[in-house]
Amino acid sequence: MVYSGPLILGFIIGFLIGTRIKPSPESKLKFGASVYAVLAIVAIVMAYQIGPFPFYTDTPFASGFIAALAGIFVGKLTFGRG
Amino acid sequence: MSTILKIFVFPAALILICYGALTILGGHITPGGGFQGGAIIASAIIFCLIVYGLKESPIKLSHNFMASIESIGAIGYVLLGLAGLFTSGFFLYNLGVDLYHIIPPNIVNIFDYPDPTHAGIIPYLNFVVGLKVLVGLSAVVITFLESDKLLKKMESK
Repeated sequence: MVYSGPLILGFIIGFLIGTRIKPSPESKLKFGASVYAVLAIVAIVMAYQIGPFPFYTDTPFASGFIAALAGIFVGKLTFGRG
Repeated sequence: MSTILKIFVFPAALILICYGALTILGGHITPGGGFQGGAIIASAIIFCLIVYGLKESPIKLSHNFMASIESIGAIGYVLLGLAGLFTSGFFLYNLGVDLYHIIPPNIVNIFDYPDPTHAGIIPYLNFVVGLKVLVGLSAVVITFLESDKLLKKMESK
């Protein structure tokens, strides 16, 4: 059974920050989909290494960490495009 | 700042934000909590602001966003406290745990935090404090960066 508390709160925190990630027209650097793909892989490995924090036994990885990452991605895709 | 830093900092900041969220979520049973997690998330935002500058930073916190999140944090904390006061007579009474058994079970179920510890309102308090701190600490740095511009404008006049 996956605990919904850390999933929901982590998603909300990530979503709030994700909505504020916006491309800057003045910057020469562009962070495309490849950056987010690499970031997702690194974050999943990191969450697996952290383990089911804090003292949970529901999943083999830190579910709040992954929920925050998912929130960032969803926030970026929905409100962070402009 | 150098290009290497500019390539590295944004993905690192996103990882830091996830880590800060995790610190907030574990605050009821591990060291850390709302303030510490909020400070970690703010440090990620400040990291971006320092390396990219205020204009080019990929994480843009507007005045309205900061004001609303700060208000939501403060109001959320007070409302959780008042909910305890009105139902039990004690400000910030932990409605999700109900140690004194003075609250109806349906209210206890509403404020119960769905994880094995059933910590009641403490994770929610951590959450709202985290929101308030992440915005508050970022606002200080944003104000300093903007004040530099204002000073330059005043000097040029």
